[in-house]
Amino acid sequence: MGMTYIPSTLDEALHLRAEKKARPLAGGSDLMVQSKRGIGLAPEFPFDVMIITGLKELKGIRKLDDGSVEIGALSTPAEIADSDLVPWHVRQAASGMGAIALRNSATIGGNIGNASPKGDLPQPLILLDASVVLASIRGERQMLLDDFILGSKKTALGDDEIIKSIVIPDYDFTYLFYRKIGMRKANAISKLSLSVAAVVKDGEIIDFRAASGAAGPRVIRSRDAENLLKGHKTEEIPEIQESFLDSWNNAISPHAMPLYRRNTTRRMLSYFLSAIYSGKAEGIIEEED
Amino acid sequence: MLSEIVFHVNGKKIVYTGNPLTRLVDVLREDLGLTGVKEGCGEGECGACSVIKDGKLVTSCIIPVGAVNGSEIYTIEGIRDTEKGKCIIDAFAEGGAVQCGFCIPGMVMATYALLSSNPHPTEMEIRKGISGNICRCTGYDLIVESIKLASEKGGDLWA
Ligand SMILES: Cc1cc2nc3c(=O)[nH]c(=O)nc-3n(C[C@H](O)[C@H](O)[C@H](O)COP(=O)(O)OP(=O)(O)OC[C@H]3O[C@@H](n4cnc5c(N)ncnc54)[C@H](O)[C@@H]3O)c2cc1C
Ligand code: FES
Ligand code: FES
Repeated sequence: MGMTYIPSTLDEALHLRAEKKARPLAGGSDLMVQSKRGIGLAPEFPFDVMIITGLKELKGIRKLDDGSVEIGALSTPAEIADSDLVPWHVRQAASGMGAIALRNSATIGGNIGNASPKGDLPQPLILLDASVVLASIRGERQMLLDDFILGSKKTALGDDEIIKSIVIPDYDFTYLFYRKIGMRKANAISKLSLSVAAVVKDGEIIDFRAASGAAGPRVIRSRDAENLLKGHKTEEIPEIQESFLDSWNNAISPHAMPLYRRNTTRRMLSYFLSAIYSGKAEGIIEEED
Repeated sequence: MLSEIVFHVNGKKIVYTGNPLTRLVDVLREDLGLTGVKEGCGEGECGACSVIKDGKLVTSCIIPVGAVNGSEIYTIEGIRDTEKGKCIIDAFAEGGAVQCGFCIPGMVMATYALLSSNPHPTEMEIRKGISGNICRCTGYDLIVESIKLASEKGGDLWA
């Protein structure tokens, strides 16, 4: 059984990480449940653990000079959902996580660090080209979240690093869509989620992106499919829609998603495209069910 | 580096020197004798162990005590004799919200957190506010009615 440390500064935490390889425990909502042993028994871990919940350096949400938003790794889904600095897709995903008590104790750093395909936050973050800031006693580095998450429960986190924050570039989308299909209302783990965003100017699709979560080992985004739409006029959508949808479907690995989920994804994407085509008012596209 | 964990429970200072990974629910129930805090699932799913940490509802079964250094924790024992606590408990009794009672301390804490941030919730907001609390007896309707009652009767208390 490993030792447990409670560092009081980020610097202490980074030294513990480097010297003891201690695993961070942030909100504990994954680690405590995964290692639960029953009433009256503390969880046990086969490695050293450091409880980082109190570290001020990893808290807070702020706007950076270039307009991007930096979210401290210890920010909770409740704080993220409540912050008007945070982009809409990410707030939607945060507000749909678990029930209230979970949203008050889970963290964004833990959601990313856990790298579960069922995690709700990576999907909208990857849609928005967010990156993670990784800190160690060697310094800091920043990489795209899409590159950081390698697969189910696998990340590129170095054994001396901790996630310090998440940085989301500034975008202004014309059309936005988010949907999570879960199992039951509260504490629902996603079965499928989809974010879509587009920039349309003078009838031309300038930017188009879609990201799907809980569909396979990683969040799915297909630049190839997205490029099939970019640069086209919205009036061309009926002609190019099928090739886009097929390309998107092909990006999903063969075993990743059962047919009904593929069909649901396809239906939501076509719904979004037809909303653009029909010249719907700018803003959030809501599906009428 | 912290060698002891200092926090407040129901206004009383606690200095904890044991295993920091001990679940908060065990410290509350076993070390502090606060058995109004219930344990149902032990996995954050049922809300029976709900307490208020720094003004926010959390489930104490998935939080290690090492994560609450510097925090103010309130359990059912700490709020039941306050004006707000009495208002909720009376409304639950009047509205017939209680059957076996196991989920009720958690429901009261969730109601306390809800009404403190939203004094006049709609029915939807009430249902969302207790959506992390499972009750196997009542089918929820009488609990929801009782929370409405607490909101109405409490008046300025929640403002
Ligand atoms: C009842 C319940 C409902 C849930 N519902 C949802 C849901 O709807 N959607 C969802 O996505 N998830 C859900 N979860 C899963 C979990 O709450 C989330 O994944 C949460 O974001 C994890 O954050 P944490 O800080 O609590 O994790 P922790 O358990 O503290 O950490 C998780 C992992 O990340 C690592 N880690 C944490 N912080 C850092 C850091 N700063 N740097 C490097 N590594 C780090 C840890 O070492 C660990 O491996 C639920 C869990 C429970 C118990
Ligand atoms: S016992 Fe903590 S949520 Fe069920
Ligand atoms: S009254 Fe029995 S579980 Fe709610």
